[in-house]
Amino acid sequence: MDFSLTDEQELLLESLRELLERSCSEEYMKECNEQHRYPEELVEALIESGFGMLGVPEEYGGTPVDTVTLMLVAEEICKQGGPHFVFGQALSIADMVEFGNDEQREQCMAEVMAGKPGFVLGFTEPQAGSDSSAIATTFTRRDGKVYINGHKTFMSNALRAKYMLCLARDAEAAGDAGKKAAFTMWWVPMDSPGVTVEPLSKIGWHMMDTCEVYLENVEIEEKDLVGVEGAGFMQLMANFEVERLLMAASMLGMAECAFGDAARYATQRVQFGRTIGSFQLIQEKITMMKLKIENMRNLVMRTAWKIDNGESVQVDSALAKLYCAQSCNEVIDDAMQILGGIGYTTDARVSRLWLDARVQRIGGGTDEVMIHIAGRTILKDYAV
Amino acid sequence: MTVVVAHKWAPNPQEATVAPGGTVDLSRAKPAVSEYDPVAIEVGRRLADAWGCELVGVSVGGPEIAAPMARKAALSRGLDRLVVVADERLSGAGATPTAVALAQAVGEVEDVRVVLAGDSSVDEGAHLVPSVLAGLLGWPSLAEVADVTADGGALVVERAQGSGSQVVRVDGPAVLAVAADAAVPRVAGMKDILAAGKKPVVELPLAGELPAQPEVVGRAPVPLAERGRRRIDTTDPDAAARELVAALRADGVL
Repeated sequence: MDFSLTDEQELLLESLRELLERSCSEEYMKECNEQHRYPEELVEALIESGFGMLGVPEEYGGTPVDTVTLMLVAEEICKQGGPHFVFGQALSIADMVEFGNDEQREQCMAEVMAGKPGFVLGFTEPQAGSDSSAIATTFTRRDGKVYINGHKTFMSNALRAKYMLCLARDAEAAGDAGKKAAFTMWWVPMDSPGVTVEPLSKIGWHMMDTCEVYLENVEIEEKDLVGVEGAGFMQLMANFEVERLLMAASMLGMAECAFGDAARYATQRVQFGRTIGSFQLIQEKITMMKLKIENMRNLVMRTAWKIDNGESVQVDSALAKLYCAQSCNEVIDDAMQILGGIGYTTDARVSRLWLDARVQRIGGGTDEVMIHIAGRTILKDYAV
Repeated sequence: MTVVVAHKWAPNPQEATVAPGGTVDLSRAKPAVSEYDPVAIEVGRRLADAWGCELVGVSVGGPEIAAPMARKAALSRGLDRLVVVADERLSGAGATPTAVALAQAVGEVEDVRVVLAGDSSVDEGAHLVPSVLAGLLGWPSLAEVADVTADGGALVVERAQGSGSQVVRVDGPAVLAVAADAAVPRVAGMKDILAAGKKPVVELPLAGELPAQPEVVGRAPVPLAERGRRRIDTTDPDAAARELVAALRADGVL
């Protein structure tokens, strides 16, 4: 089994480290976090150097790369203390590349190339978190127009996005029969009359907004249909597995960032006349943290390799997301314990990572949903 | 017309380890394009673009510099093509043999208008190679170059001189050692890295004998200065600031 990186991957990571050294200092991250400010300068630097469009097909101005390379980049950004959401546009816009029409794709790409979100993904609703089939936002046809009504929640980047890729149910389709077939994707300009955005106040993820979005008789056109009517749910699900893996890769990077800070601190902090790293209780923490990081990396990279080789990753991506979300939180928590009081202050980035990591066990599919996805599929293989 | 950049494949100082006695160990550091050389490549790229000519990299060293990784690392920084002289005799070579081999490589490039080099190599830091190379080529040499612009076919070179600067016009070919802060090197993206693997590379055999180089028989770290251990009372900020300025003046810092 060959675990080595290609020359190209090594050079790409070297370039990325150089860029992050210049554009993603610890001070800069702290400032953005404290001011609840989107790290625009960092995103601009990533776009300028081609990282923003990594994985995007060439015809849309990007540079296609394999999934392993995408995961390596996502990991490295977070390992150097960067926020996870500045990378991965290739995956988030995959829905539009695959299902959008020329005009929609052009609009989406123009935003991405300007360092802005291609769209806000209008999926989750107050009553439809893990139970995504409970989506109640509707579309209704009237006088040659289409009207969207509903309430979306936990909408990342809603304040900055120009468009929403909105999943809505056909208001005319009644009953439970064909539930999923009633969902359709629509391309909704966020400045349309009837769209109201209200930011949520969170305990972490301060650099990116998360909002409630109310849609009240939002008038759009038939041309704003994305993909095939009635196929919205399945279209959306098509990319969830690789998106989960991207989250797992970012969590791996976050854990490595916290681990590095804690391990360095353990070799410097002196108590009782010795560095705290010389105490076995700290060595145990360091060892278990490292073990979890290695496990995370193996899960992420093997799943990425399977994707690149055309293998199914339904179970793998769920396992990777589940394990990385839990282990990332455990590693960061242990890092804070090693850093002691300093780790609980905003001067130590571990405190930001500690707050930012917790939501990873909830967003993009909760731990429990990942267990549900993996568990039922694993048992199918053993059914007699 | 061609712009040439001489660069070195050297250990990455980020991976150096420093022993308690202050000795720097680079033996386990992975190699990379020497820290200051990307600045010279960036300046060279701008110059070549202004003239609409080719930017050629030249590198000399041990067999490792001909490895695909070393080639791609340099070419992804913006060079159009590469000329390398890779020979065991050049492993760990000092300034004079390095300059001799570089002169050979530069001689193989047609119509060279200027050779740019980094301020110094990150592992040796002798600051000598550009001057020795210029001597061998019979061209003028300018160090601490802060900026280079094309004025028709001539070069206008701004260089640091003492605490000020000097502007020099160079009409013929020259060797310029570029200051470490002369430009911010571009970060290579995936497109640049992929393209680097397809750019032409010429590998030349080392011609002739190399001059003997002096043997290093010992090294010692710079002795640490004795700390003053002076404490300034900051109860009165104005008085503290005056005292600090006076102390810095007395020590010649200001």
